[in-house]
Amino acid sequence: MNIKNGKDFWAGLMFAGFGLGFMLVSFNYPMGSAVRMGPAYFPTVLGGMLAILGAAVFVRAFVSKLPHPLKVFSFRLPLMIGALALGGATYLADSWLKGVPMAEFALTGLALFLFIGAFGPKSMFLVLLSVVIFGYALKPLGLVLATVLLIVISAFGGHDFRNKEIVILTIVLVLFGVLVFVKGLGLPFNLWPGE
Amino acid sequence: MEFDLIHNLGIGFGVALSWQNLMYCFFGVVLGTLIGVLPGIGPVATIAMLLPVTFNLSPISALIMLAGIYYGAQYGGSTTAILVNIPGESSSVITCLDGYAMARQGRAGPALAIAAIGSFFAGCVATVVIALFAPPLAEVALKFGPAEYFSLMILGLVGATVLAHGSLVKAIAMTLLGLLLGLIGTDVNSGIARFSFGLPELSDGIGFVIVAMGVFGFAEIITNLEQGESRDVFVNKVTGLMPTWKDLKDSSGAILRGTALGSMLGILPGGGALLSSFAAYTLEKKIGDTSMFGKGEIRGVAAPESANNAGAQTSFIPLLTLGIPSNPVMALMIGAMMIQGIAPGPQVMTERPELFWGMIASMWIGNLMLVILNLPLIGIWVKLLTVPYRLLYPSILLFCCVGVYSLSNAPFDVMLTAVFGLLGYIFVKLECEPAPLILGFILGPLMEENLRRAMLLSRGDATVFFTKPISGVLLGMAIVLLLITLAPTVRKTREVAFQE
Repeated sequence: MNIKNGKDFWAGLMFAGFGLGFMLVSFNYPMGSAVRMGPAYFPTVLGGMLAILGAAVFVRAFVSKLPHPLKVFSFRLPLMIGALALGGATYLADSWLKGVPMAEFALTGLALFLFIGAFGPKSMFLVLLSVVIFGYALKPLGLVLATVLLIVISAFGGHDFRNKEIVILTIVLVLFGVLVFVKGLGLPFNLWPGE
Repeated sequence: MEFDLIHNLGIGFGVALSWQNLMYCFFGVVLGTLIGVLPGIGPVATIAMLLPVTFNLSPISALIMLAGIYYGAQYGGSTTAILVNIPGESSSVITCLDGYAMARQGRAGPALAIAAIGSFFAGCVATVVIALFAPPLAEVALKFGPAEYFSLMILGLVGATVLAHGSLVKAIAMTLLGLLLGLIGTDVNSGIARFSFGLPELSDGIGFVIVAMGVFGFAEIITNLEQGESRDVFVNKVTGLMPTWKDLKDSSGAILRGTALGSMLGILPGGGALLSSFAAYTLEKKIGDTSMFGKGEIRGVAAPESANNAGAQTSFIPLLTLGIPSNPVMALMIGAMMIQGIAPGPQVMTERPELFWGMIASMWIGNLMLVILNLPLIGIWVKLLTVPYRLLYPSILLFCCVGVYSLSNAPFDVMLTAVFGLLGYIFVKLECEPAPLILGFILGPLMEENLRRAMLLSRGDATVFFTKPISGVLLGMAIVLLLITLAPTVRKTREVAFQE
């Protein structure tokens, strides 16, 4: 048996996994009856259907007439090694990190990101990383610095990084953010750290 | 009846013509044109971003502005399609074929003008269609019980599934996954927080904006960056905007047909601008002299552009009469109504007539504004197209992040959006169309609720969905639709249609 369509192979696994996952978690809740449906009823039925369809897509991967290689996602070994090393180091340095607030959380998060990033293009890794950093930096660092971080990190995900352009873009967007979001729309962001 | 219509439209124009609402309408259509012109950011992300802001507006101003963004984007999308051969908006994909060919022959001006004129005509007709058909439909909808609602939602989901690109099985699976994701959060009946993994942030469920922004917005940026920038900007000086008499004569039939088809298809659950434009182009290719199609046939611009605008507007009908969204943008409109404390449904028309008719009147005014914005000011929009994507996407990211964060000032929401961005990227890679997932996500809790109620009322008798007449007809339509799609001949044409 050869896998003919790699996309169907992975999609089938994904759907079946989600379906079974939802069904398994549903076992924790009361099922009820057809007349009085409990919280588990609808998700169990849907999850079952999804698992069956996932299996069908999975099987189709072996008989498909549309060939597609199994390697749908890229893989970067250095990032994977980095992720495992960082994760391991964080685990070992557990007692040291206790003193620094957020350090363990940030390091674990970064390790997770490196792990996910090992499977996709550079742009995916940097775009998602910049977004999460923005989310967690907005309150402690303020809108100005969070915006700078978002723009600079995400700009590295593009094809050509031009220093001058990025500086100008960052300044324009910071000004825009301060004037439109905070002054204009009245969103409750602090502009600088510790305000 | 006719008197009622005029009376009601009078109320509507009274509301829509207040200077405040005119201003929001103008703001909406300008913003809509802007994001329509720019590839990579669409009405879903924009409306999602503005949702938290609408909280401070009056309900009618909020809805007028958001509606303006949606149909404004249809105008803007055609500009990019004609000049750059890239759809600024997904519903303008088909306009690229003949529009860009016309631009290469130095006839970009007439192509743009016909697109705008066709859109305006379609917008006017669609406004009348909504005014005429929404009230009787709402009356029918008042008779709907839980069984009817459940069957209607099934029909909507089947519609979305059938219209999705690619494999039908994958589309159904995506719908189911969407329904399941929609169930995350506290179950109304038992109070149990389902699938929340003990996280308090998940006990209220996942916000629709988070899913839409991640799966559509972030995933699109990532794929665009992965594919690299390959934009062949064709911004010749646009001269000679006015179409000749021959152009107008050639395209008048196509505009009429596109408008009629778009108005009908927009009403269907799962329909809207995208489907309408495809159908209109296909129809046009079967009529009259077809030798010029793909080589700059003006009818190939007129028909889909009229159809997508008509479809965009009539897709408000299921929302306003049944309270059921037919596409992701309409789901956001529901969100906007909920923020204002309005439960969408047939009662809106009777309880808040100024809201319903004001919105309809604003659509006509908005279309008039759009013609003025798009024809004389075309030069400004063309300039925008020269902004490179490498400057555009960090800005889009910032707007999306601020939009998500401001929903509830929670970093967790931003991280969750990133998770859905990752998921969305995987969907793109595995050729799983996200539109059915989004529709399922919105309808999940509604469907479960109506299913429970219907089963409780019928004492567990599942045949009730078939024996009740309206419900039976709706389910029958869903089954027929599914069977038609599975039929081998249709299956082939569907594959061909989506490849074009």
